[in-house]
This record gives sequence, C-alpha cells and structure tokens, in this order.
Amino acid sequence: MAEVRAIDYTGSERLTMNMGPQHPSAHGVFRAILTLEGEKIVGVDAVIGYLHRCHEKLAENLAYVQYPSIASKTDYVAAMSSELAYVMAAEKIAQFEVPKRAQYLRVIVNELQRVASHCLWLGTWCLDMGGALGGGTSIFLYCIRERETVLDLFESLVGARLLYGFHQVGGVRYDLPAGWAEQCRATIDTIGKRLFEYEEMLEDNAFFEARTRNVGVISSALAQDVGVSGPLLRASGVDFDLRRDQPYSSYQDFQFKVPVETEGDCHARYRVRMVEFRESIRIVRQVLDSLPEGPISSRPGVKSLGQVRVPKGEAYARVEGPRGEVGCYLVADGSQKPYRMKWRGASFSNLAVLPYILPGVTVADVVAIMGSVDPVFGEVDR
Amino acid sequence: MGNPVSRGFFAEAAALAGAVFRAMRITGLNLFRKPVTVHYPEKPRAYPDRYRGLLALTYDPKTGEENCIGCRLCEFICPPAVIKVEMLKSTGRNYAKSFSLELYACEFCELCVQVCPTDAIVMTKSFDMATTDRRELLMDKDRLHAIGLQHQPSWGTGNRLRDAQAPPAPPKKPTAESAPAAAAPAPVTEPTAAPTEAPKPDPPKPEEAKA
Amino acid sequence: MIPGLPPLIGSLIMSAIVLGFVVGLVAYTTLLERKFAARMQSRVGPYRVGPHGLFQPIADGIKLLLKEDLVPASADRMVFNLAPVVFVVPCLLIFATIPFAPGIGVADLNIGVLFFLAVSSMEIVGLFMAGWGSNNKYALISVMRAVNQIISYDLPLLFAALVPVMLAGSLKMSDIAAAQGGGFWFIFYPVLGQIGFLAFMIAGVAAENRTPFDILEAESELVAGFRVEYSGMKFGLIQLGEYAHVIGTSFLGALLFLGAWAGPGPAWLAPLWFLIKAMLVFLLFTWVRWSFVRIKVDQILAVSWKLLLPLTLGLVLVTAVVVVMRGSHG
Repeated sequence: MAEVRAIDYTGSERLTMNMGPQHPSAHGVFRAILTLEGEKIVGVDAVIGYLHRCHEKLAENLAYVQYPSIASKTDYVAAMSSELAYVMAAEKIAQFEVPKRAQYLRVIVNELQRVASHCLWLGTWCLDMGGALGGGTSIFLYCIRERETVLDLFESLVGARLLYGFHQVGGVRYDLPAGWAEQCRATIDTIGKRLFEYEEMLEDNAFFEARTRNVGVISSALAQDVGVSGPLLRASGVDFDLRRDQPYSSYQDFQFKVPVETEGDCHARYRVRMVEFRESIRIVRQVLDSLPEGPISSRPGVKSLGQVRVPKGEAYARVEGPRGEVGCYLVADGSQKPYRMKWRGASFSNLAVLPYILPGVTVADVVAIMGSVDPVFGEVDR
Repeated sequence: MGNPVSRGFFAEAAALAGAVFRAMRITGLNLFRKPVTVHYPEKPRAYPDRYRGLLALTYDPKTGEENCIGCRLCEFICPPAVIKVEMLKSTGRNYAKSFSLELYACEFCELCVQVCPTDAIVMTKSFDMATTDRRELLMDKDRLHAIGLQHQPSWGTGNRLRDAQAPPAPPKKPTAESAPAAAAPAPVTEPTAAPTEAPKPDPPKPEEAKA
Repeated sequence: MIPGLPPLIGSLIMSAIVLGFVVGLVAYTTLLERKFAARMQSRVGPYRVGPHGLFQPIADGIKLLLKEDLVPASADRMVFNLAPVVFVVPCLLIFATIPFAPGIGVADLNIGVLFFLAVSSMEIVGLFMAGWGSNNKYALISVMRAVNQIISYDLPLLFAALVPVMLAGSLKMSDIAAAQGGGFWFIFYPVLGQIGFLAFMIAGVAAENRTPFDILEAESELVAGFRVEYSGMKFGLIQLGEYAHVIGTSFLGALLFLGAWAGPGPAWLAPLWFLIKAMLVFLLFTWVRWSFVRIKVDQILAVSWKLLLPLTLGLVLVTAVVVVMRGSHG
C-alpha cells in the first residue's frame, strides 16, 4: 500500500509516496510514485507493465480465427470493442464484406457494451470518492445491478458474461435468439429510468461538485498534444467521435448526439459519459427497430484452423470504445496468422496525461482524477 | 481546491439541503425494492440456453457410441492449447485413444465446440467444478464423458453454430426456400434430449429469427 | 438506584447491567446497520450465520478475539496499547448519565447533558493516542484532521443540544424527558425544534466521523486511517467505542428531541419506546451515511464554522428570547 520515504532535498518537505500497484482505489495494477510537498503533488512517475501479457506476440502465433476471443482480454471491461478492432483490421486488409445484419449486430453489441462499461465506471468512481463504506458503495451497487442486467443479455446471446469471442473475421458468431430483442428493450428502458436516479443522487450535490469541479483540468491543447481520446477529449472541448466522423460498421445509419463539454475537469467528463449512456441506449433502440434479415457472416463458420487467410497487406482499424480510440494495426503476410499486430489501447494514451494534470493537486484529488480518466490496465499493458 | 460559485449563505444552505434530501430519497426508494440477491446454492440460477459451461464429451443417442472420432480439430484450434487428443484408428470410423483437457487453463471460448464435425465436444449448462486441488481439473476422457452424462448440454453445438454462421448459398430453385437464407438458429426453447446430441447436422429450419 | 441495597452495591449492579446491555446493543447495532445498508443497496446483508444473520456479531467478535495481536516494531508500545482503552472508556461512560426509563439509570446527574457532551468529546484523546502510537505518518495526519473535525463540530452539537435544555429549563436528563411528557416533543416545537434537530443530526454525524464527514477514513483511499496498525481485539475495542458513541448520541437525540420514553402503553414499555426512538435516530444516521460521497477537509470545516456555528448560535439566541418571553408571561 503506502510506504513513505522522506527525501530531504534542500530542506523542503518533499516526500515520495508510492501509490500502488495494489491500492484500495484499485483501477487495476498501476503504480504511481508521487512526490509530495506537504499536501500537494509536485511530481508523478507512472510505472505500468504489471499486467503485460504479450498480446502482440500472441497475435503473431494465433490464427485469425483464434485471436478474437483473446483480443477481448485487452480491454476486458469493454471486450466487444476490443474484438471489433481486430476483426475490422483483418477485414480491411482482406477486403471481406461484412453483411448488413452482422454490422447492425456489432453496433448493438458495442453500444450495450458501452452502457455496461460506463456503469462500471460510474460505480467504481463513486466508490473511490465515497469510500468503501458509505454512499459510494450505494451508487456502486446500483450501477453493478444495472450492469448485471446487460451482462444477462450478453449471456443469452453469447453464453459468456465478460469475455465473449462474439466477433469473427467476416461477421459475428451468434445470432439473436428468440425473445432477445424484447428482453433488450426492457433492459435498456429500465437502465434509462435508473440513470435519472443516479443523476439525482449526484447532480447539484455540493459534496460531489466540490470533489469534481475544477479538478484535473485537461485543456483542449493538452488533450490533443498528448493524444487522449474518447470522453476525455470530448470533455476538453474537442468535438471528435469516431462513430460519427469516421463511421464504421454502419454507424452512419443511426442518429446520435456526440456530447462535448468545454471545462475539461472531472465534472465535464462525468457529464459526457452520462450523455453517452443515453445516446447508446438511443442507438440500440434504433438498431433494434431497423435490424435487417440476412446472414451473420460472409465467411463460412469456423471449421478449421487455417480457414481464414488474409493476403499480404497492412491496415489500421479504429473503434470508438468506451475509453477512447481502440486501434489495431495488422500486418498480414498471406498466411493464417498475422505477421505483426500493434494494439493501440485507449487507456495507454489517456494515462499519459497524468504527469501533466496531477502536479498541483492534493493527494485526495488523485483518486477522483484517476477515476474520471477511467483506465483499464488490460489495454495499457496489453 | 476549486469551489463552485458561492451563492450566498441561504442559497447555499438551501441547495445543500435539497441535494441531501434528493440523495436520501433515492436510497430510501431502494430500501423498498426487492433485493436482487439470488440465494445460491439453495436457489439455482437460471442459465440461458447458450451458456458456456463445463466441457463434455457426448455419446450418440441412437447407437450409444462415442461421438468423438479423434480428428484433433479441437486440439488445433484451441487458443491456449489445452486439449490433447490421440487418435485410435479402427474399422469404419476412428476413435480418440486419449483425450485430455486442462480445464484450469481453458478459456471457455467455444471454438473447439464450433469446429467439431460430429458434435462430440459440447459445453454444458453448469460451471460447478470448484476444487481445492488443481489436478482434479485435468480432465481425461472418462471424466469428460461423465460430465456429459451429468449435465445438460447447451444450445451451441458444432453443427448448429456453423449453420448459423454460414453465408447464404446462391438460390438454386425459385420455388423452395433453400439454404439458410434467414440463417436462423433453432428456437431457444427447444428442449434437447439430455445428455447427447445427434451426430448428423439437422437440416436448417427456414424460420425467421424474431427480431 | 436500587432501593433496599446500599447505594454503592446498587450502582455497581446497575452499571454492570447497563454495560452489558450497551455492549450487546452495540454488537447488534452493527448487524442492524449492515442489514439496513444492504436493503438500501438491493441486496440482503449477512444471511448465513444464524437465521438471517443473527449470529453474525457473535461470529465477528469471536473472530476478532482469535486474531493475532500485532504491534508495530517502531510503535510507542504503551501509548499504542493504551489508546483503545482510553478511546473506549469515555464512549461507554456516556451511558452512565442516560436514564433509560423514569428512575432507571446509573447516575441521573444534575448536569447530565453537559456531562454527556463533555465526556464524549474526550474520545479525542484516545483517538490521538492511537494515531501517535502507531508511528505512522499518515495515521498521524489523518487523526490530526479528525481531532480538528471533532472539535469543530462539538461546538454546534453543544449549542444544538442547548435548545431543548433551555426549553425544558434544566440540564438534568430526566427533567428534559419529563418536560416532553405531554406528547409535545421538542421536535414538534415550531421552527426551533426542527432546525435544532437538524443541526443536532448534522453535528452529530460529523462528531462521530461518519460519512460524509469521515475524512478520518478517507485517507484509506491512499493510506489507511488511524486504525491501520490495530488488529484483533484492540481493533474490536475501537469499533466498540465508535458504535457506542454513535448509539449514545442517538439516545441523546431521542431524549432531547423525540420525547425519550414517552409512548402509548403501560409504563414498563417505556424503555422499549426509548430504544425504538434511539434506533430510529441511528437509522437516520445510517441512511445519511450510505447516501453520500465524502467531502473534502476544507469543505467539512467550512460547513462547521461558516454554516452550523452561526446557525446554532442563532438558534440558542432565539430560544433564549422565547424562553424569557414565555417565562415573563406566566
């Protein structure tokens, strides 16, 4: 947990405090070596790599039919987005067509995943701020209760709750079972209503505002320089969303709003994600209303290891995940395995902003800021 | 640290009071909602049809023979390489001489189920396999068959999955609605005869998936 | 006092009964809090240990007794070991002045309310000893903040408690309870009663280090609070003291504002009514606890000095005026 070594440089009260890799406000295994002067932070040294599992090397050894279920383990909270990036990259190189129904199913599943991921984000963030025994827990449990209903939907569709293996090169693996659409509509209706409850608990709440307003401000210039993406970028005033600006997988067929806030503080990031909740629900309703019939894959179902061969080429596919831009750069050499895969994890770039925004805040604010950045260390360390 | 704009004493106090009452109203509201806890294991959880539970090997319901022909396709496709199969050649058809599955390392990705040509390996609707010794999770053929007899298999078997994913064949005749144009899976509520599966693929049903 | 026995023996027996009752109540109040919090969060609380979790506090107590007692090597041993005791004694001592029913109580002092509030703030000494004795820089910082907070909120707590004292005209607890006997509890007193109760609740929550004012434990986001170095029954004693303090404040609140033991039914039901009302106040504290995120230190102190203190001072002033006017009229 915390060790304190006093380093007396010039007689000033500088202290080095170690936060992590196991700490109560756990967002994953992350170690931040904070240099404190009294209460304020003057320096941050971020140490990552505790969750490195050699994804990029694994991708060289696993075939295109095998890797999608492994890809979900990079950003394990938003597994669907991670799988989508990989299969989209392979499809881009090989120029595989993805049938319309499969594209729509991918949209449903990705947006539901965004709802589930934001539920987890809100819950854990309030848990960090409110303490493990206290109001934070209440909001945490409510969010998890809602997230469980979304995971139930995934369970009826795929059979798994967290790590799916739903996407495959050329389409998706599972079609909707009977009654799933009704269940989905009921679930998102309930979540939409419950969102109002969470906002009631948090909006205009002096305690919440004191902890989040003007805390961890990321300016628009800083955000673009460092390369953050997703809600962090939109909360700093940059109006950019891959789903709208570089649409993939039929996102251009749907209407949705892209929330943008200008303050760039924790509160702005919170507002952006709350609006994204509602927009995702809207997108899912539109997709369910207009889901076409058709096959769910343009390639035959996986029957053998060497079934998918991607010709020589390279491509970079980007997906707007709940945390930002998830990207997969694939170099294919004509065989059944990629030659090289490079994974752009959204949280990796988002975390890079910490050394710029942490100095000057107090130790208690670090937790609020980390929560609002919402890192998942699977995609940081890969 | 940064504070919101100070609004004057009474406005501030009133806003605080309002926020307090709103938040307490929500927690009070939840006080009267039914808890969502499922008292497992006294009350079993309802598993959906497609649940990816423990792996099992199956027998042919008609002949009572093992379905597995030892083709090793599952071994080749498994991403963490937990399956090891040895083929036993025989007259008429092959068998698996040995089949070991390291359940402690299994990802439950269902790829082995998907590639199996005879629906021999399936996933069941159960996950109850907690042990204190990891060696008990190294499954051999007998244990896999025992799991297959003990638990109900889930909907996803190799042939069903492949049929659901197959792209439509080009239409041959204008009359019959051939091929899986709708690519519909079998309805979810279809009861399967526990615990075995027919080894031949069912002809795809031209039903619409209700979407 | 038990008639027929020498006063010393009588009060010893009474003290033993009250102490036993309080410790049992503390244990089962933890269960009540856990079940209540769980129901607010759509789950059931402890369920398996005994029917619906009724033996959970006993199991927790046994567990704490069986744990290893660790003392950090660099800790100040005497201070470290004495701190839980010094903490728990005032928290239990406050129950000496509370009359649980007309005539039942250990010591119904003439200055009951004052004694209660003064002794309950002595827990700060134990708290500070715990933080100091741990020889852990962050335990010390957190406990210094806690001391700051408790001192800041004891003032508004005292002033809020003074409102019913002035309305009843006496610091003696049984007098205050008797003054509410006619069914007109002090909380029903127009404006003064409600705001007084509200101020009492807020100051009470803060004085006990409960969320949202639990900056003492907020350090656990990064560093554990002052309890980090304690294990086993010493930790149990600290928990006991904390919950005893909360329950004591709940009893005081019920006595000052909710009419103590006034309630329908025969006279022997009086302690039960008192208990129910105290538990209602406790549940109110709990409800607040499980609804809010924590606030920052500067915010906590701002609420105390800039909001509560002027409010309660104003309340005391107005109450004084009302009492004088009432007195001069008849």
